[in-house]
This record gives sequence, structure tokens and C-alpha cells, in this order.
Amino acid sequence: MLTVRYFAGARAAAGVAEDQVPPGCTLHQLTATLVARRGERLGRVLGTASFLVDGLAWRDRDRPLPDPAVVDVLPPFAGG
Amino acid sequence: MTLPPLVEPAAELTTDEIRRYSRHLIIPDVGVAGQKRLKNARVLCVGAGGLGSPALMYLAAAGVGTLGVVDFDTVDESNLQRQIIHGQSDIGRSKAASAAASIAEINPYVRVVIHDVALDRDNIFEIFGGYDLIVDGTDNFATRYLVNDAAVLLGKPYVWGSIYRFDGQASVFWAEHGPCYRCLYPEPPPPGMVPSCAEGGVLGVLCASIGSIQVTEAIKLLTGVGEPLVGRLTVYDALEMAYRTIRVRKDPNCVLCGPNATQTELLPDYEDFCGAVSPEAELAVADATITATELAEWRTAGKDLLLVDVREPAEYEIVRIPDSTLVPKGEILSGEALSTLPQNRQIVLYCKSGVRSAEALAALKDAGFRDAVHLQGGVLAWIRQVDPSLPSY
Repeated sequence: MLTVRYFAGARAAAGVAEDQVPPGCTLHQLTATLVARRGERLGRVLGTASFLVDGLAWRDRDRPLPDPAVVDVLPPFAGG
Repeated sequence: MTLPPLVEPAAELTTDEIRRYSRHLIIPDVGVAGQKRLKNARVLCVGAGGLGSPALMYLAAAGVGTLGVVDFDTVDESNLQRQIIHGQSDIGRSKAASAAASIAEINPYVRVVIHDVALDRDNIFEIFGGYDLIVDGTDNFATRYLVNDAAVLLGKPYVWGSIYRFDGQASVFWAEHGPCYRCLYPEPPPPGMVPSCAEGGVLGVLCASIGSIQVTEAIKLLTGVGEPLVGRLTVYDALEMAYRTIRVRKDPNCVLCGPNATQTELLPDYEDFCGAVSPEAELAVADATITATELAEWRTAGKDLLLVDVREPAEYEIVRIPDSTLVPKGEILSGEALSTLPQNRQIVLYCKSGVRSAEALAALKDAGFRDAVHLQGGVLAWIRQVDPSLPSY
């Protein structure tokens, strides 16, 4: 099972703190599943977010994600 | 992970210093040795703004011997809601000079070095070279990537913090012992997609929540106590009042700090790397930009036009150009607002400063609104050039 944890603006857009998603998908497929479940507002946040898979930035959108895994969704912001 | 202290102890503490720092000295983990390390430490704070204010004030109070302040900006009234190192009488003054004066009042034993310049690829190595540790309190992606890259290339640790609305993040990036900023955020977000605090706002006191974490980590690194926030990211949610810590691993494919790093020097242009606006927006605005003065002339001449404000409702409430219609940028980009806009009237888009309206203009042009234009410099330009009686924000 994949555990998706939303932070900051991603959490606000998703409306929940976490989602459970069946394994065996790529990051591309995962984001499509999450947008279908939570709406387009989350989709806009996911478009700029960083995805940490078990702590490691996951850049390849077409490689299958490990199972089980924790996927942290971190939207960037640069305010100071 | 524990790490050795970053700084060797100073030779001694004076009687006055022993009195001043007594509450530190009686903590066994800090003690005289730790306080001497702080005295010998040289810390550079990049930005004397929201995060830089509490960071500099607490670093000064803690007895860090040398504090550098990098800021080329001047104090504006809208800074005072959160930038507590500056006061009412500092409005219009250089932020670096204002910060230096506050530091001198907090602790006269601190040596302050003012860098009243914008950091760039030509000066950053020389400036960073004079310090043991960097505290990043900048307010834009371009400078954040510049700071990270310079710190990694120089092998220096830095304490990173970032804030927006009710959310904050902090970490220690030190490529020798853990990940760097690029391991966490490999690429900057597309321009115009992530609002800044000037566009989206920030809860003033959030600066203290994150700035104090940065100072805590700085003191731990300098004195070698505790577990530094290396390889971990603290995420703060003020609405929920929760701090979470996320593990961040060093990315083996990091272009900057990975084993097969391909970037061995600073980028030629960080503004360009982060993009002021997207290429689509740049193309869209090429022949479709008017100035505030032109807009005023169009209106005086009675030209039939629809003035569309693409900012957020809260901004529209603060100040707006008279007789404008609010259609937030998101509704234009998603397409949902397109059917409400007329094809047969001249459309003029504006936002706060002209970045968001450029993005919206690109979407409008794509949708067939060929004559639409946007206002250069946004409502801020309108206030400056046409109606200075309106409030700036």
C-alpha cells in the first residue's frame, strides 16, 4: 500500500492529511488517482510539488513506485 | 547524528560577558566552552526581512561574535507587520543599517558587518567566505537556489527556512553530511505558479516560529550540541498547531551534491533559471502590454474596455483600479471563467505587479481573445503613475 501524506498547501487542497492508494503505479498514475479522488484544486498543487518517496526526491514520473512506500507531497514556497 | 562544533572557542569571556550570558553558562551542554564558541562564530544572515528579523535578534542576544547582514532593500511600512528588527522610524532606511542599529542595541558585544548589496554570482563566494554558517531568510526562489549552490560549492552548512501564509518549513542543508536544497526541491516551480508572500500574504508571527528554529539550529551547529536538523525537514502548520519532521535523504542523482554531480560552478543567471514569467507568458505580452498612463488615457478617451483584475478576492478588497471586474487568475487558467468574458470588447488584465496578469494573458490568447492586453506593473504601477492616493500593499 502507498501512504500519501499531504503538507501545507497540498493538505489544504486535498482536504485530508493522508490518502491510501493501492500499489503498483507510477508517480504519473498516482497523481491522476489523487486528482480524481480529491479534485482539480489538488491537481494544481501537485503540478509544482516535490514528491519524497521514503525520504528520497522522486523525479521519474514513469517508474513504478516501491511497495509499501510513504509518499510525502511538499509544495514549494520561498517566502522569508 | 551528532556533529562536532563548527567553531573553535574564543580565548576568553570578559567579566561583562560572563554576567550577560550567565543563563547560557549554567546550562551544562553549553557552558563557558559553548559560549566561547558563539563568541568566536561568524554567522551571515541573508535577508533582514521576516525570517532575518528574529534570526538576527536572537543570534545577537545569544552572543554570536560576528553577524553579517545581507540586504539591499529599504524598510517599507508594509514590512513592519512581521519584520520586528525594524521600527516606525526606520521607514525608508536601508534594512541592513536598520538591522545593525537594532543589533547594537540588543548586544553591543556583537560585531556587525553590513553587506548592503544584492547577492549575485560575482559577489557571493567572497561574502560567504568570511563566515562559518549561513542563515537563509530570502524571499524568492532565485536567491534560494543561488544561496544553496554557493554553500554546497564552498562546503558550508546553512540553515534554511521558508514561510507562506500559515505554513513554514526549516532544515539544515550541509552537503558533506546530508542533502542540499536541490535534493528536496530539484527544480524551481514554473514561474507564476507559486505565489510569494507579497502576493499571497503571510501571518506575521510565523516568522518567529520558523526564525527561532533557524537560530536554534545555528546555535547547535556552532556549539556542537544536540541533533542537528540535517537530513530532516521540519514542517510547521500554524492552523493545526503541529510540527512534523520528515526524513529527507541525499539524492544520489543530485546535479549539485550527488556523486555524479554535473554542476560544478554557479549557474550563469539564477533569475533566468527560475524564470520571471513563463515563455508562453513572455510571448503573449510581447505586443500586448500597456502602461498605467496608457490605460488612463484610454479611459479618458472613453474607449470601450473591460478591465479585469486577476488577483485574489482579499487583494481586490485592499485596493483596486476603479470599475474593474474581479476574475482570479486560477479561473482563467482552468478555463471556467472564459465564457463570462466578452469576445467583442477590449480586455485589459491586471494583477499586483504584472506577473500573474501575464500568465492569464497567455491563457486568454490561447482561447482566442486575440486583442486582450495586460497592464505593465499591475495595480502598483497604477498607484505610482496615475493615482497615488490609493493604498499600496
